[in-house]
Amino acid sequence: MIRTWPSPTTRWHLAWAGLLLAGAVAMLVDAQVRRAAQQARQPEVQSVVRLLGVADLALSSSSRWLRHPSIAEPGAPFADGPAILDNDPAGAAISPPRASERGRHSERK
Amino acid sequence: MKRQLALIRFALGSAHRRTGRTLSLAVALALVTFGYSSVLFLTEALRSEFRLAATALPDLTVQSLVAGRPALINEEQLPAIASIAGVVAVQPRVWGYYFVPAMSGNFTVVGVDTDAETVRRDLSLVMLEGKLPGASGEVVLGESLAAFLGLEITDAVTLPVGRAMKRLELVGTFRSQVALWTSDVILMNVADAREFLQVPPGQATDLAVLLSTPDEASVAARKIAELLPSARIVDRQLMSRTYDLTFDTRGGMMGGMLLSALVSFLILAWDRLTGVGPGERREIGVLKAVGWRTGDVLIARLWENTVIAVYGAVPGILAAYGYVFLARAPGLAEVLLGWSSIYPALRLTPAVDPGQFLVLLCLVVIPFVAASLIPAWRTATHDPHGLLRGAA
Repeated sequence: MIRTWPSPTTRWHLAWAGLLLAGAVAMLVDAQVRRAAQQARQPEVQSVVRLLGVADLALSSSSRWLRHPSIAEPGAPFADGPAILDNDPAGAAISPPRASERGRHSERK
Repeated sequence: MKRQLALIRFALGSAHRRTGRTLSLAVALALVTFGYSSVLFLTEALRSEFRLAATALPDLTVQSLVAGRPALINEEQLPAIASIAGVVAVQPRVWGYYFVPAMSGNFTVVGVDTDAETVRRDLSLVMLEGKLPGASGEVVLGESLAAFLGLEITDAVTLPVGRAMKRLELVGTFRSQVALWTSDVILMNVADAREFLQVPPGQATDLAVLLSTPDEASVAARKIAELLPSARIVDRQLMSRTYDLTFDTRGGMMGGMLLSALVSFLILAWDRLTGVGPGERREIGVLKAVGWRTGDVLIARLWENTVIAVYGAVPGILAAYGYVFLARAPGLAEVLLGWSSIYPALRLTPAVDPGQFLVLLCLVVIPFVAASLIPAWRTATHDPHGLLRGAA
């Protein structure tokens, strides 16, 4: 009996496992490269924080406590409307108007 | 070692022979992993961006509260705060929100001393094009806001301020590298900001306090609180904690929703792995008849399920990485970040490292392999004669 190793099945699995490993390594290397780029732009980020005085990310400007969560007072959601329901679930469930996508996807080099 | 290799070879062959089952489980696992990883990658990346910026925050921010709401703070308090030991500088800041009903947009207006050398240096570092603002009416906008308003450099826009109208000329835009912080920002000189936000002279939105020793922030905060009992004093560490909690809440909510998907998947996996087909029964019967022990069958099954889990989880993680950092999480970003008129371009930096990757992999692989343990044991303990006769 002639035994071949690795068998075609094992070879297929080794190739697939190799591909997955290569993908994982590529992902980790890419993450490392992007982190280095992030560190390189730290002076610019710090300049902008010095100018603005706050470091909050401009992710949502619908309420002041969503725009600047770090400095909004604890009762800010309720100050917007007594007994108001938390906006977060609404923010998570209701999609933004399509017109706002124009701003989201526009960017310059 | 040799025995384990042989068992792994057998497990690989077994997974290959039952292609349909292997594929369906791997695809379902990949989908669940993709969902979890996307949420994790996005929230971790946002946290890391905030941490990067947080080091430049003032040590303390002093706000005035009236009836539980933030109110303008009197600049008369400045000398008293500046005289506290350890306080290097106190800067009154004029900033606030400007809502344009016609555009349903809420913008952040920031006033800076455009004549100050430090401000001009910082501005030149973060501006993409145009000139530094100086004269009245000259503004720098975030790139998303400029696009939202349809403005190019030197274009002007007139916005209502109370009953009057204020003409603003765009003289520059912020670089895209800082878009996460500036997308909705209108930066102008302090006098314009006062006019725009209707902040009277002698008052400010809040005070930024810089300390010689940031570790003594709590001591300085206590002394400021004695001077201004109604003030709210926020230190830098508190801001960072708030941010962590914010994304924990939103990310946790999404994670909670995905938990039901994971549980459903594990139940499906249990069901699929418990149902042993006639071919499989015969195979186990033959294996046990030729001398395989129950432990061998069990280990071969565990290897097979580990292979399926890894084959499903790793592509799920890789797809999530591409979705969040290459495609910029369309759909998920809107769900996590909530409604807004203006969104920044989500150019995020991955926080994932080998340790996190392994933890994520284990979080998916271990429950799956554990869920398959009992079905594997039940299969392995069948009587070989019964299995071969088809009675088991």
